[in-house]
Amino acid sequence: MKKIDRRNFLKGGLAGGAALAATGKATKAEASGSFGGYPNSMGVLVDFTKCVGCRTCEAACNKEQGLPAPDKPFTDKSVFDEIHHGKRHRRTTEKAFTVVNRYDIPGRAEGPIYRKFQCNHCQEPACLTSCFVNAYTKTPEGAVIYNSKVCVGCRTCMIACPFYVPAYAYSSATNPIVRKCIMCYDTRLKFGRPPACVEACPQEVMVFGRRKDLIKMGHERIKEHPDKYVDHIYGENEVGGTSWLYLSDVPFDQVGFDTHLGNEPIISYVKDFLAMVPIVLTVWPALFTGFHLLATRKEEANTKENESKGRGV
Amino acid sequence: MNRLVGKGFKPINSLTKSDGSRWTVKEKLLLGLTPGEYMKVQCRNPFNWILWVIYIIGVPVLVGRFINGLGWATGGSYDYPWGLFLAWGLFTMVPLSASGFMLGTTVELFGRKDFKPIERLGLLNGLLGYLFAVMFLQVDLGQPWRLIYPMFVSLGPAAVLFLVAWHVATYLSVQVAELVPAYSEWMGLPKAKKAIRSMVLGLTVAGIILSTLHQGALGALFTYAPGKVHPLWYSSPFQWFHFLTSAIFAGLSMLIVVSTLSKWFLRWRCDDNFKQNLDKLTVGLGKGCSLALVTYLVIKIIAVAHDNEWEYLFTGWGQYFMFEITAGTIIPLILYTMAVRRDSASIARVAAFIAVFGVALNRINTALIAFNWKLYQEIPPWREVVIVLTVYSTYIVVYRFILARMPILYTWKDRN
Amino acid sequence: MGGKTKKLLRVAVVLAAWGLAPHAALAADGPGVVELGSLSNLFEPVTFNHTMHTDVAKSCAECHHHTLGDAPIDKTCARCHRANQPADSVACRECHPANRFAADYLAKLEANPQLYHTGKPGLKGVYHRKCLGCHRTMDGPTGCEDCHKMTEKGEAFYRTGKFAPPPAKHEAGEE
Repeated sequence: MKKIDRRNFLKGGLAGGAALAATGKATKAEASGSFGGYPNSMGVLVDFTKCVGCRTCEAACNKEQGLPAPDKPFTDKSVFDEIHHGKRHRRTTEKAFTVVNRYDIPGRAEGPIYRKFQCNHCQEPACLTSCFVNAYTKTPEGAVIYNSKVCVGCRTCMIACPFYVPAYAYSSATNPIVRKCIMCYDTRLKFGRPPACVEACPQEVMVFGRRKDLIKMGHERIKEHPDKYVDHIYGENEVGGTSWLYLSDVPFDQVGFDTHLGNEPIISYVKDFLAMVPIVLTVWPALFTGFHLLATRKEEANTKENESKGRGV
Repeated sequence: MNRLVGKGFKPINSLTKSDGSRWTVKEKLLLGLTPGEYMKVQCRNPFNWILWVIYIIGVPVLVGRFINGLGWATGGSYDYPWGLFLAWGLFTMVPLSASGFMLGTTVELFGRKDFKPIERLGLLNGLLGYLFAVMFLQVDLGQPWRLIYPMFVSLGPAAVLFLVAWHVATYLSVQVAELVPAYSEWMGLPKAKKAIRSMVLGLTVAGIILSTLHQGALGALFTYAPGKVHPLWYSSPFQWFHFLTSAIFAGLSMLIVVSTLSKWFLRWRCDDNFKQNLDKLTVGLGKGCSLALVTYLVIKIIAVAHDNEWEYLFTGWGQYFMFEITAGTIIPLILYTMAVRRDSASIARVAAFIAVFGVALNRINTALIAFNWKLYQEIPPWREVVIVLTVYSTYIVVYRFILARMPILYTWKDRN
Repeated sequence: MGGKTKKLLRVAVVLAAWGLAPHAALAADGPGVVELGSLSNLFEPVTFNHTMHTDVAKSCAECHHHTLGDAPIDKTCARCHRANQPADSVACRECHPANRFAADYLAKLEANPQLYHTGKPGLKGVYHRKCLGCHRTMDGPTGCEDCHKMTEKGEAFYRTGKFAPPPAKHEAGEE
């Protein structure tokens, strides 16, 4: 709660700095703010130990979101061998909101491990907090959705996203927009149904439910099978927590996760600057006008002196 | 032109001709030359040949960017959403344009009237730098026609970029206002000048606030990417201060560079007041630069100590960081200090060129090279480079156009 | 014994052969070949040779948990289901819902936090997990079409077969 207060305070400060307070528009933007995470938001618990890399989720996503045809069929397993720039596996693109990658783990009895990946729908999304047109919204259901109608295309959200998720439709000249998973908000989540990928998965790798219940479920699974799982739910605390949570039997850094992100939401790293803004706005005018008066006192005295001298002559 | 003036030609520097009649706008635009003479002068200038080459290649590419989209013109990468357009056009142009608020502050606020001969050049350098930073932004934005959305359509006031947008927009207006006197003299509109003079203190203070915040905000934009920017170039508490302090010496150094170039290539346009004071003022600016450089260097070191990043210094990245600090900060600092000690404008000029390079290096490092340091480094494709050259050339052309005409480097003869 | 057989009969969607391989006593009790087709959509029904699998399995409990009265293998289940009576039904779909992700089913789970087995997977999930889980360790078939042929709808869904993208587009690898 303290955090939210601080942020709202800062928002007020920034808005004031832009001389918006008078227009009253700042309050509107504030009302749509969504920090802290909603208590009853939904989430998805992904258990990588169950994924077999069939790519059905990718196909389901493509169909549900009406995405363009893929470059290769969804049954084509050769995509797992693709190594892109930076020695990395496939990532989300403007044509694929979710991807499955294969990670060969030496010595793993079950063979390679597969990792499904998409937008993690952060509790305090960096994309949302960095967006200067408020294009992103964290819905009470937990999805981070995006309004392409107001997007200017600055791509700061892509800079800010610690998971490298948002993709830009660079190919479009007239209406390029950011494209990413929206947790099937419009077609499913809004109606209490899970995202298409969750339902399509033949292995039921994913469980859909309230985030807080999923965290309990995840810890229970770890407790029931302590020899199997890594004792960590990725996304429980990372960058302030994410709606998508992950269980794995190999360390997360071996399945393409960044384990150095820390538990602070990305906006926390910006707070030092944000806190400084209202100070500059209030202190600078007085300070520099004061400097001016001090610096020019002599000069003014001189002019007055000259004037009186002039009169004297 | 230098040659023409050498032969005794006098470019327009007052409202009226020798016979008492007023110069027409056309005559003012042609600097008092006939159209034929003007064309001849333009064609003789080898710099214009280079510009032509850039434009012949660059304009079609620039137009192509708007027809074919960013994917065609730029790296268009999901991992590197920002390329050269912003790394150079925004993150480098803006600090190099900090001279506007610095000179405004020095002259109008601290009452250092001795810097008056170079004040307008400082203000113009600020205005044009910002204007073209916005141009670069317009080239880079996916939907440039929505530029005003953060102002009026959909507001995200908690975002750092929101602050940058508002402040750059407001500050641009402030800078336009600050240069109205020069324009009003040139066009013979004394009322406008008077109106501005009455609010110059307010404008200057507004300029300081806006500059402090948006120069810092440009740095703060990178604090959104704690895992992506290399730790040596990243500092959550100090990033904005790094960008602000480096902008101070960047703006002043750029002013020295521009004044030096003007002294060389636009000598015909500089009046005696400018030419005679320039060396002294250059050293004066150099003094300011050296102070800002020391501050910057100290805070850079504090940032490394604060996050305990010493061990990074011994990696390859650390050596590159050391190169940037040495070449971009320590060497100009030494040179500026020498310049002040020996009262040598030429040393200060060398220092200025190096300092400008140093700031550009720092900004490009932060935005491109040390960004995604864990992934890979992206090399901008040729079209991106060509567009940057084209827009920057336009900046130079506009800059030169104004310097040649409006009373920036010279004093208008008939002041009202 | 007869009662148990009757219960097992309900498992089968289609009952084809009957006790062809009387290898073990338990095999003789189950159905022979079963067609699993209730979920058929993107793939055709699976023809499941129950007899063959009972030969391979160490115990009925490997697939049927505690429902046949045997001790469950998973020690977590064994906490409650140590000495069970055979259940009324042993069919997978009697316990594992086919509508695992329907809003009303999710609402039911939501409504009662006291409910046991809330994490119980749906029918599609258990079919695949059971079959593939074993096949992967016992070197059984693991490809999708090893067990069920893709339907035309499936080909459209997976953009394969006659719905496959033209090969020329393959080189357009996205960065």
